[in-house]
Amino acid sequence: MRRLLNKILKTPVVTEAGLPPQSDDVRFLASAVQEKAQRLFGGSLHIRQVDAGSCNGCELEIGALNNPYYDLERFGLHFVASPRHADCLLVTGPVTRNMADPLKRTYDATPDPKFVVAIGDCAADCGIFKGAYGVVGPVSSVVPVDVVVQGCPPEPFAILDGILRYLERRVRALP
Amino acid sequence: MMYLFIASILCFGLGVLAVLLSVRSPKPCRVAAHSFALAGSLGMLIFGFAGLQGAGFESKLPSVMPGAGLQFTIDRLSAFFIVVIAVGAVAAALYAFGYTRQYTGHRVAGAGVSLNVFLPSMFCVVLAANALTFLFFWELMALASYFLVMTESEHADTREAGWIYFVMTHAGFACLLIAFLVLSAAADSTDFANWPRASLLMDARPRNLAFILLAIGFGSKAGLIPFHIWLPRAHPAAPSHVSALMSGVMIKLGIYGLIRTVFVWMGAGPEWWGILILLFAAMSSVLGVLYALVENDLKRLLAYSSVENIGIITLGIGAAMLFQAFHLPGLAGLALIAALYHTINHAIFKSLLFMGAGAVLHAAHTRNMEEMGGLIRRMPQTAALFLVGSVAIAALPPFNGLASEWLTFQSLLLSFQIPARTVNLVFAVSVAALALTGGLAAACFVKAFGISFLALPRSKHAEDARECDWTMRAAMGVLAILCLVFGVAPFMVVSYLKDAAAELTGAAPDLAFNWTTLAAGSGFATFSPPWVLAGLVLLPVLVLGLLLAAGANRKSRKYETWGCGRAVQGARFEYTAAAFSNPFTRVFAFLYQPVEETDVQSHPESRFFVHTILYKHETRSIFEEWFYIPVVRHVRAIANRARVLQSGNVHSYLLYIFLALLCLLVLINR
Repeated sequence: MRRLLNKILKTPVVTEAGLPPQSDDVRFLASAVQEKAQRLFGGSLHIRQVDAGSCNGCELEIGALNNPYYDLERFGLHFVASPRHADCLLVTGPVTRNMADPLKRTYDATPDPKFVVAIGDCAADCGIFKGAYGVVGPVSSVVPVDVVVQGCPPEPFAILDGILRYLERRVRALP
Repeated sequence: MMYLFIASILCFGLGVLAVLLSVRSPKPCRVAAHSFALAGSLGMLIFGFAGLQGAGFESKLPSVMPGAGLQFTIDRLSAFFIVVIAVGAVAAALYAFGYTRQYTGHRVAGAGVSLNVFLPSMFCVVLAANALTFLFFWELMALASYFLVMTESEHADTREAGWIYFVMTHAGFACLLIAFLVLSAAADSTDFANWPRASLLMDARPRNLAFILLAIGFGSKAGLIPFHIWLPRAHPAAPSHVSALMSGVMIKLGIYGLIRTVFVWMGAGPEWWGILILLFAAMSSVLGVLYALVENDLKRLLAYSSVENIGIITLGIGAAMLFQAFHLPGLAGLALIAALYHTINHAIFKSLLFMGAGAVLHAAHTRNMEEMGGLIRRMPQTAALFLVGSVAIAALPPFNGLASEWLTFQSLLLSFQIPARTVNLVFAVSVAALALTGGLAAACFVKAFGISFLALPRSKHAEDARECDWTMRAAMGVLAILCLVFGVAPFMVVSYLKDAAAELTGAAPDLAFNWTTLAAGSGFATFSPPWVLAGLVLLPVLVLGLLLAAGANRKSRKYETWGCGRAVQGARFEYTAAAFSNPFTRVFAFLYQPVEETDVQSHPESRFFVHTILYKHETRSIFEEWFYIPVVRHVRAIANRARVLQSGNVHSYLLYIFLALLCLLVLINR
């Protein structure tokens, strides 16, 4: 007991100091998009993530979007558990033979209007898995892709940036 | 009145006769048995209504039996129970036309005769005016229902169920017999009319003894925990129209006896009587629904749910007893109205549910919910009717369960007017128990309906299921309509019950009502079922209208059920009944004492190559393991010892006779 208390008292603060906000442009973009995005998706955007055969590097970065630093939800974006609730699919990895059919089904199950974001180099063009026997092809060979975010893996801000830029494009296209 | 009664009883008699004349040919036998039963029940329904309106009836047949002979009379309480029985009996007789078509040979005749004895004996129990008449018909009812339970006696579990029912019902009968003898001795008469006055003059000890014995006797017929063990066995084993009758109607005679005991025969007792009844009622309602929740056999689930509903009814009776003991007859009347209202409601929706379960059993050839599923597409009308029953029993608007449970809640909540701390505490426990019961009952019937009727069929039989015979659907339809009517227009029922309750408590019940609203406890709480119904209908219309006005998208798209992207979606991926109830099994592990067994058969070289996995998950009944099994063991041990007396030696029997004679002489001479 005493040792434990001692340890609690003596352990210094070990977390790092937060970085100063670097990508002010993301915030700017977000505020610009936010009000207009309401017209497109009724206030908030629901995202379903599909791992079509990724090494889970991209998943770590996508997971990081939910942490307090990146905090995806402040832009009204949420991860959901079913494509039935989703407006947007985040697809990672080269599409493997096993996952090609489920990916297609997931796309079909997502209600319109919807868009697909391919995350990472593998999703864009199969990356280092190009030509492997278990791989069908990039995401665009199975479902139509609207945005590609490059990187191996891409940074969380890059992913966010990709989603928000697509939204902006769609909003600009609105009458 | 007299002629109506004779004509109805005659109908049943003719039914028996007709069956006996046509034993050899099942079809005319079936039609005759059930038409006469239907006619007799309809006659008794009219008779019961006349009785509710205050028509009198008196009948004496002194020469038929020793003592005072057969003797019948009617008051509003018995008239009400006549109506309850008749409603169940009419529906069951109609349903039996189609249901008994599956039986062949002597079984049709056996079931026909038993039914035509069972129904009139229930009516006569309620009308009995002296102890001998009551006990005679009570026993006749028990025997007839025993034979009905044993209709499918080729199954071993049916025989076991019949045996347990036989033992339990006769243990109850023994209690009643002793209590009746005590009361008859005190009143010096077997006539019920002489009992109320005599009972008030009795010594405390025999009076308490009589009360406890009557409570056990009637409680075991009603299925109050811990005397409930025969219900979940006998009700599933019986043919479904008989299950509907037993669960919907026959166990209500236990309730009738209890009300009769505490409000007529014995009069107001000490307050601990009421506390005792209230506590057992609370236990029955909560434990009944908890056992129902983990049951995967559809008819057993319904039987346990009967235990729960009997608990709810008895909560009303217990509350009424306590109010009466504290001289609050208005509230006692309110609680009695709640109990009686729930009695008829339960008779209606439980009959409906058992009939629905019978239709499913008929079509899918199984009672096991794990082998059902997808029946809503194959038998849509039965599914709709079963859904009505489920919603009603879960006490959801607009059906009848809500009205009576609301009344029960109000009468329990109004207990703050009783100036005694302990009693208030008991009431608080009962309110909590009732609230818990309501929630669990809803979960239970989500399971019963969802697992049986929705999703994909889990077996070949369920896949080939067909809609049932029209008579069966008609019987269920009548009950479903009654569910709605009794739910939307409680004032119709309450106006009759008010008089019945007033007759028992001696004061007008504290319940105001008009055609839209019930107001309990001088405006303590009000409830308007028609407006609730209107809201239920109008709200979706309003929401839809507003959405359309706001320019909502009206396009729709049909797409397969989302199955996580799986290529094949079969019945094996479905939610199972066991999985549905597993969270409850874990939370209430003390009660269920679950046993889990996993047996993995793997390849001898490596345990990672699994051949088969056997997983067993069972729940046990603590009442059986801690109470009934030890009792049975002791009875067996004593019986084994007593066997020494039965030596088979004539000389020793002569000695016994001599000793008995000697004892008697000594006793008489004293």
